[in-house]
Formats: sequence, structure tokens, C-alpha cells
Amino acid sequence: MATARANSRGPARGRFKVFNPLTDNLGAMTSRPKVSADPDRKSLQSAVDYHLEVTLAKGSHNADPCDYHLALALAIREPVIRAMNATEARVLRAGAKQIHYLSMEFLIGRLLANNLRNLGLYDTCAEVAADMGLTLADVLETECDPALGNGGLGRLAACFLDSLASLSYPGYGYGINYQFGLFRQTFMNGFQREQPDNWAVHGTPWHIERREQSSMIPIYGRLEGDLDDNGNYNPHWLDWNSLIGVPADIPVVGYGGQCVNFLRLYTARAPAEFDMAIFNDGDYLRAMERQVAVETVSKVLYPSDSAEAGRELRFIQEYFFVACAMRDIFRRHHGAGHRVDEFGQYNAIQLNDTHPALAVVELMRTLVDEHAMGWDAAWAITQQTTAYTNHTLLPEALERWSATLFGRVLPRHLEIVYEINRRFLGEVAVRHPGDDARLERMSIIQETPHKEIRMAHLAIVGSHSVNGVAEMHSELVKSQLVPDFYELWPGRFNNKTNGVTPRRWLLNCNHRLAALISEAIGSKWIADLAQLSRLEPLAADSAFRRDFREVKLKNKADLARRVRAVTGVIIDPNTMFDVQIKRIHEYKRQLLNALHIMHLYCRVTEDNLPLSSPKTFIFSGKAAPGYALAKLIIKLINNIARVVNADPRLNGSLRVVFYPDYKVSVAELIVPAAELSEQISTAGYEASGTGNMKLAMNGALTIGTLDGANVEIARDVGADNIYIFGLTAEQIVQRRLQGHAAQEVYDSNADVRRIMTRLVDGTFSSEEPGLFAPIARALLEQGDHYMHLSDFADYAHKHEQAARDYRDAERWTARAIANVARSAHFSSDRTIHEYATQIWDLRQVV
Amino acid sequence: MLLEDTSEGDCLVVSLKEQRLDAVIAASFKEALLERIDHGQHNIVLDMAYVNFMDSSGLGAVVAILKHLGDKGRLRICRVTPAVMAVLKLTRMDRIFRTFETLQAAIAA
Repeated sequence: MATARANSRGPARGRFKVFNPLTDNLGAMTSRPKVSADPDRKSLQSAVDYHLEVTLAKGSHNADPCDYHLALALAIREPVIRAMNATEARVLRAGAKQIHYLSMEFLIGRLLANNLRNLGLYDTCAEVAADMGLTLADVLETECDPALGNGGLGRLAACFLDSLASLSYPGYGYGINYQFGLFRQTFMNGFQREQPDNWAVHGTPWHIERREQSSMIPIYGRLEGDLDDNGNYNPHWLDWNSLIGVPADIPVVGYGGQCVNFLRLYTARAPAEFDMAIFNDGDYLRAMERQVAVETVSKVLYPSDSAEAGRELRFIQEYFFVACAMRDIFRRHHGAGHRVDEFGQYNAIQLNDTHPALAVVELMRTLVDEHAMGWDAAWAITQQTTAYTNHTLLPEALERWSATLFGRVLPRHLEIVYEINRRFLGEVAVRHPGDDARLERMSIIQETPHKEIRMAHLAIVGSHSVNGVAEMHSELVKSQLVPDFYELWPGRFNNKTNGVTPRRWLLNCNHRLAALISEAIGSKWIADLAQLSRLEPLAADSAFRRDFREVKLKNKADLARRVRAVTGVIIDPNTMFDVQIKRIHEYKRQLLNALHIMHLYCRVTEDNLPLSSPKTFIFSGKAAPGYALAKLIIKLINNIARVVNADPRLNGSLRVVFYPDYKVSVAELIVPAAELSEQISTAGYEASGTGNMKLAMNGALTIGTLDGANVEIARDVGADNIYIFGLTAEQIVQRRLQGHAAQEVYDSNADVRRIMTRLVDGTFSSEEPGLFAPIARALLEQGDHYMHLSDFADYAHKHEQAARDYRDAERWTARAIANVARSAHFSSDRTIHEYATQIWDLRQVV
Repeated sequence: MLLEDTSEGDCLVVSLKEQRLDAVIAASFKEALLERIDHGQHNIVLDMAYVNFMDSSGLGAVVAILKHLGDKGRLRICRVTPAVMAVLKLTRMDRIFRTFETLQAAIAA
């Protein structure tokens, strides 16, 4: 066996087989080593060698860490796919009901490390990598991080898939295989710049294309009414265009490797490679045109706040993946030998927000048109099958589609929507005779000023379950968002507080803490997070506290190294790491955090008051490209960082970092290092949040408002272990009614007046003093809708309290341990168990 | 485009020996069938055994043939592949066309 030479592009290599045609046995080199479900170091090594040399045609002279990553992934893929096939066979044998989770977004993150952890192969692979002269972490770092989502909703979907597989529930994700994920964020002079994220350009070993299971999806066209042989209305859908949905499966490896489900993502293709008739006429460009137009459907993921651009394309995207999913679910249902009238017995469909709400109509269309089922029977099956999760109370985020657009793209579906609405309003009218205002409020069709389809109403009417994602949010859904629907069907509404998978968000991202926990209480917590409560007494154990602190310090040092490499900013791991990582939005109030940093800066530089504890503020998050104010907030934070980090008067006691291009892998780096978690949304706006859960689970204390799941975190970790501040949702409503809140705060609070002055006097924008005037206007002249100024004093006060508390490291650590020990409620395993037993009526298949 | 005609009594069996009935051949397919109707063939069985893809142009051609025949004759379709049947069901055209699993059944009907 030859020895690898060091490659200038990659780390030094150790043992690595290079094929020498003169000396090596060709048969031995090309015979494919089998990788068993529980491979040892040697067989794994052979498989990696094989894939590197034969599949990738690389040798030690030209293989780089990306190649090693691919070879390792291909080696692991083998037992994963076998387990996936075995899981599917087991589910089929059991005749089990299945859940199909429909979501426009799946933020799955990097897969190899998580799969290795769930398969229990991480340590073996680390040894294999070491044998090759590599560090596994370096190899894993080369994997692309698919940004197939905007934020929490997409990551929730990914956590749910992990929990479904880890709990052995037959559950599958359906979505779109976007060629370009959410944009790649860079900064130019502190301004956000968006670059295309062509995430799969180098290919991915995890996609298994199922071309033979492609579906033809018609859109556009017209209806021609007619009567059938029985004299019934029989509309024909004619002159449509075709899209072909080509599925690719990504295996979802459950913890322990016994259950491997899949996420099925669809790519849109033209029916033929291109239009041969036009091609044969010699018009090559026009022949390609149609193909390009069709493939645009799975090209880009829309940043959630700028869907105005290309609304029609977004609508087609929603229908495309719903229609593909529905055909696939029916194909599998019939394949299992079940009858069409048994559809609801064997299938549950969860709508992740309203983006897949067309599933209600598509299911009705399939049953009524394709299976000639009567309306009432079809409607019963549709309601029995479908359940809807609401994710937002923001009126602008509730989807409505113009009836004109709807009818142009899906003429038959619009007809079905009208019929659903006609029957539904009839039901309401019987309950509330003469109450026309109620009918107008509840109608699926909004009549004025433009005729629009209210997708949330469609989802509620077509589902047997409507859930919010945190206790407080679920109450607001009932009392504020759709009270009429709650009054009509109180039993339909319920809460399922979100959760996060402890495999990715503790075991994989914080392996040091995971090891410490396992050493103390064993490893059962990985599959049963309630076990973490056994850490509770260890908060009083000084040796455990010391070890816990050491873990946190090492994680902070890791982050500090990466921050320096990526941003050039030097941060001190001995300062408190204060973290706000999430999408940039006014309601999430990164601006409040920024204003407070300005306040601290002024206290030190103008009042000569030292900070109670040295602090490093870490931000990460993307603003929607069309959201000007959010982008200006990013610029403000970057400018604050530039000023603060360069000011010698602070002596390094205050640092600000904006880590670019936030995504799952960035969160996995920052979360283990966080000590204070900023969850400071305006009360009543954040549905749940999941970053708050990840950070608490990793031992960060929360500073937050009583909003979303913060309320439940506060209840579980206890008032002593969290910093709650600010107006409640009810108080905000009252405050708005009173009016002029921002001006009153400005007049009465000298700190606020000083910050507002510094915001516009050039302190943080010397190159353009008026740059941040739009922010000042939003706060003072436009009423400060998100109550930054009203909450400022309490926020600053709680920050001061936290800074003082941080000086007592022993006590701070005990409180951090309490946060970890009391985080069981926030495992997505708990959430999925609740969905499975209370909504889907699902059984585990083991 | 390859069409094969065979006569079974007064019935004309037209077999479309193409895999795709789409925009590329829809117009010529329609013309060819209309020509047969105009020449007095009013009892037609369309054998679709070879066709595994039909788009809306193809469907439009079959609808036009049916309409052209009107009350003066009969169109039956046989040996429809699952992919084409899916299109007929999806557009509810399965309730308009008379489809048969075998050629013999279509001729005898």
C-alpha cells in the first residue's frame, strides 16, 4: 500500500491507498467493500478508500477535504439506505398510518455529522479520519449547509423530521428542492449584500433521485362545463401547461439508526427536454425558453417578507409541491393496497403554516374528480386527514391570493374553493341567522377591496385540528386572530408548543457539554430529555460547576477563533457572551439591543462609568432583501461595532460582532458559546421562537419578554434563572390606545434622549450623519410601533442586573445548569409525541 | 407520426404508434383523424397502448376528434396506459370518453 503525500490544498494525509497498475491487484482494488449497519473501523476505512478512488476517481495527490467528505458520506450512505428501505418495508408490513409533513421550507442543516451521531458512528469515523491524517471536524466543515428556509418555520420542520425518525413514527417531509436557497449574506461597508446561494453546485451525496416516481402537474388552462351521462355538472380542465415534479429523497436518520424516514423534495422540469417541434424548426432559443420558464418553479426560495416580487411564481410553487405530494401520498396509499375511502385512516397531512393550504383543495379535487367520490364523503376524508399549524399573528404575513390569479393558474381549484365556501357559510348562517358581518369576517373569500382567497380560513375550514405553537400564541389565535372560528369550533383549536431536537442542538453542536452530561447521568437523555432533570442536584456540586464552566469557556474560545477568522474582530472568551441570532425584523427588536449597546457605550465614554461586567455582543441574522429598515438596522449594528471595537477608552470591555451569513451551521457554532440569550420581541408578536429553547438547553440564561415560548421557559426554569422585562401583550394594547408612548418616554428619560441624539448626530455614522434618520423617525415620529422606547428602561435595568450577577461565577453557573436541567419540555420529541397522539392518531413502528 | 389503420367490420381501429401524444404531433394527429371521419369513418376505436405521455395539446386533439364526430358516430378508446388514464381522470375527461381495457371489448361495444 502506498502512502499519501501531503497535499498543498488540504491537511496532511496519512495512510491512503493509491492504485498502482503495476503492483496492485486490480480485482482487489475495485471490489466494493460492503458497509454493515454497525461497521468497524476497518470496514469503514475500506469503504472510504473505495469511494475516494473508484467513485470519485481521486488519489492522495489530488484529493482535498471535500473529496474526503464525499467519500465518507458515500460510505455511510450505504447502511443508511439499507435502513431506510427496511424502515419502509416495516411500515408497509405493519399497515401503519403515516404522517406527511408539508412545508415550503426545510432548514435541514449539514447532514453528515448529525447522521454519524445518530448512527453512533461519530467516534469510529473520527478514528478513520485520524488514520488518514485528517481531523474529522475539518472534513465535516466542508459540507454545504443547504439554506432551504428563511428561519424558525423551516428549522422546526427539520427538527420534527428528526424526532419522528428518532421516535420510530412513520413520518415524511414534502417540500421543494430549491436550486438556490436563501441568499448568502455578505457585508459591504456594513451594508447587507445578497449573493446567490447555489448550495448544490458541487452535488450532494444525500439526494436519491426517484425519477420513476415523477408526477405531471397541470397549471393554467380553462374550464369547459358540460353534463355527464347522469346529467350532473362535469367541468373539464383543458389547455393546461404541464410541469413535471421529479422527487429526490434525503434520508432522515433517527437516533439509534433503527428508523430512517425520508424528506422528499421536488424539482420542476419541463415535460420534454425541450420542445422538439420548435427545436426542429431551428428556433433553438425559443425551444429552451419553455424549459427555463418551467424550471424556474423550483429555482428560488422566496425570502418571506418580499413575496410581492413574483407572486404568481410563489403561488405556483405552493401548488406545485402540494400537488406532487398529494399524488405521491395517493400512489403510496394505493401501493399499500388500501382503498380510496380509507385514505383518512392511513394518512395524516400536517400543513406547516398556510403555504401548503392548497392541499385542502387538491385533496378534494383528487377525491371528487379523479375518484368520482361524492362531495360529502370527500369532505369528511379531507377534514379527517388535514391539520393546520398557525405560525404568525402578523396580519401582513397571513396569506391571501387574488381570486383572479388563483383562477388563472388553477381554474378548477377556484371552483372548488367557491363550493367549499358556499357550504361553509351556509353552516355559519344556520348558527347565526342574519349576521351578515360575521359571514363576511369568516368567509374564505374576502370581497373588498379586491376579491381574495384567505388561505388561513381555507386551512381552518378544511382541517380537523388548528394549533398554535406556544401556549400564549395559541390563546392569541383563539382570542385575537380568528375568534369567530374558535366560537364555531372550540374543539378544533389546540396548542403544540414547539421544540428542538436535542440530537442536533445538544449532542451534535455541543459535544463537550453532551459528554459532561452523559458522564454525570448516563446517555439516556439523548432519547429522553426528561432525564436532564437529574442534573438538578449537580448545580450544587462545585466540581460539576467547574467542569460545566470549563466546557462553556472552551466553546467560547472556539467561537472566538472563528469570529476572528471570519470578521477579523478579536473577542475575549472571558467576557460575557450575549447573543441575538435570528432573522432581522423590527418585532424581534435587534434595534432595542443596539440602542442598549449605544447606551452602555455612552455610559463608559461620556459618564465615565465602568461596565458591571465586560461584555461581547454577538449578532447574526439576515434581513429580507426588500426590507429596507431591517437592512438599515444591520448597518447600524455594524457601525456600532466599528466604533465600539476601535475605541481605546473601553479597553476591550465592550465588543460587538455581527457574524455574517446566519444559517444552521453558524447557529451550531454560536449556541454552545452563549451565556445570555436575547429573546426580546415585542410581546404578542413572536409565535413561539425556537432559538430561545436551543440557547437555554445549552446553558444560556434568557433575557426576554413575556412572549411566545419565553413564557413557558420562564415557568420551567424559574424566575431566579431568567431575566424577564418589558410590557406584556395586554399592556401594549392599552399603551397603544393611550397613544404618544414613544414621545412620553423620550421626554421623561434622559438616557433615551441621549441615545436618540447619538443615533443621528454622526457618532455612529461619521461618513453620513443622517444615515440612521429613518430609524429615528420610526421610533419618534411614526409611533414606535414595536415599543422599543417604552421597554428600554426595564431592558437596561435587567441587563445591569445580569451584568452584576455574572460577577458571581459560581452562582451564574448554577443557574445555567438549572436552565439545562429544566429544558426537557422544549425537546421536539415531546412536541411530536403530542402531535402524534392528539392530532395524527399515529402509532410507532418498531 | 405513425398511425396504423385496421378494419374490423364497420369499425376502424386506429393505432397510434407513438410514445408521446403532445404538442409535437397533436395537430397532425388531429388532422389525420378528422380526415378519416370526413371520409365516412364514423365508428372509430383509438388504440392508445403505445402512448405513455399525453399533454393538454394531445388531449385537446382527442377532444376535437370527439366533437367533430358529434352525433354522427362513435369514438371509443382502448388500452389506455396508466399515465394517460391519470390525465383523463385529472381533467374529468374519463367521464366523457368511453374507455376499454382491451381492443376486443372496444370493438364489441
